[in-house]
Amino acid sequence: MDAASVVFTIGGMQITSTVVTTWGLMLLFALGCRLATHRLSVDQPGLLQTALEGSVLSIKAAIDGVLPGRDDMLLPFIGTLWLFVAAANLTGLVPGLHSPTADLSTTAALAFIVFLSVHWFGIRSAGPKAYLGHYLTPSPVLLPFHLLGELSRTLALAVRLFGNIMSLEMAALLVLLVAGLLVPVPVLMLHIIEALVQAYIFGTLALIYIAGGMQSREAADSRQTQPTSDKKGSAP
Amino acid sequence: MELNWTTFVLEIINFLALLWLLKRFLYRPVLQILAARQAGIEQQLASARDSEARATAMQQQFASRLADWEQEKAAERRRFDAELATEKERQLAKLGKELAAERERSAAQDANRLATQRRQLAGEASVQARQFASALLGRLAGPELEGRLVQLFIAELDALPEEQLAEVRAGLDGQGQGVVSTAFELPAAQRQQVSAAVASRLAPQLALEFRVDPALLSGARLSLGAWRLDFSLAGELAFFPEAASRGQRQQP
Repeated sequence: MDAASVVFTIGGMQITSTVVTTWGLMLLFALGCRLATHRLSVDQPGLLQTALEGSVLSIKAAIDGVLPGRDDMLLPFIGTLWLFVAAANLTGLVPGLHSPTADLSTTAALAFIVFLSVHWFGIRSAGPKAYLGHYLTPSPVLLPFHLLGELSRTLALAVRLFGNIMSLEMAALLVLLVAGLLVPVPVLMLHIIEALVQAYIFGTLALIYIAGGMQSREAADSRQTQPTSDKKGSAP
Repeated sequence: MELNWTTFVLEIINFLALLWLLKRFLYRPVLQILAARQAGIEQQLASARDSEARATAMQQQFASRLADWEQEKAAERRRFDAELATEKERQLAKLGKELAAERERSAAQDANRLATQRRQLAGEASVQARQFASALLGRLAGPELEGRLVQLFIAELDALPEEQLAEVRAGLDGQGQGVVSTAFELPAAQRQQVSAAVASRLAPQLALEFRVDPALLSGARLSLGAWRLDFSLAGELAFFPEAASRGQRQQP
């Protein structure tokens, strides 16, 4: 079983099944969302509209719980992460398909996007000087450790998702080969739970990393105001 | 477990494309619907608050108007009570005046009725007195009484005031004829006394005619044209109705 088999090539560029599955998911998302949001009603929402609104509001509430007041800015990115990772994780349940997140290239790409988005939102929120300055706090000596932490958490983000999803698919395949047709059903149910949990973990970790980057300005501000208040407090 | 850089790059592009697609077809429409619904709710809340404010204002206005009405009602009631008291006093005063006028009118009617009764009684008494006097004097009438009455007639003629005698003389203008009526045939001596008294007091050339008139009952009456000097019982009895009528006229 090769999870990333090349399906076709375009100008020497190998298009793997991971990319094709991702395109399929993108097509489903686009068509589904277009059809679902084609006729939204303000006064009489249907069942599907209510589910969509509930999902979006839940994502907003989760973001607002971590970063109050920033839910509108982070909703597209974090929401897309959750939805795509969950859908990609669950794709492995469809016979003949494998999860794009069982491919290290996909999880690495997602982790790289998260890595870039942390700096992007951090710089947008705090400015380049304040944001980059937080790598030198509390001491410039810790700069290598900060950089190492950035790399290691990004790597962990990619490997964690890849390892979990790949192992789930592998376990289901092994049980299916060894035990028979219906025996892997509990394993597949575990796959559903694990897929949703891993999607939640991936999105939540991305949100926490972004929140850490955006709150670097507030940390810098508090460090700047702390000595001033101490001076005021020690004044005779 | 190997990293395919083509897949890596394409997945990055795919994710960014999916991000754009979901933002375009999912987040934006749903957020717009939620915002529109929130705006509608806010509008309804604002409308409800506005309605509540208007209702509160109307309630306060109604309470204020009700209080004003109560004050106006109390003032109107006081004014009505005052007018009622004034009208009552006026009606009582008017009734008092009418009662006083009625009392006066009743007293006047009583007085008139009493005066009428008195006049009737006086008239009846006069008639009875005349009848009694006529009956008594009719029984006393005779030549002796007439002789005495003729003497009183002569004395009365002598006692007449000169102004009245002058008026009688002016009426005679030195001529004329007088008539002396008696109830009985007058003796010659008394005729001469009467003629002498008339000649001395009125006119010496006046001719006197002596007549007998039993209606006089007793006494004498001198008639000179329209002027008369009566000293007879009939003349005196005729005094009763005149006295009664004078008495009635003198009654209040």
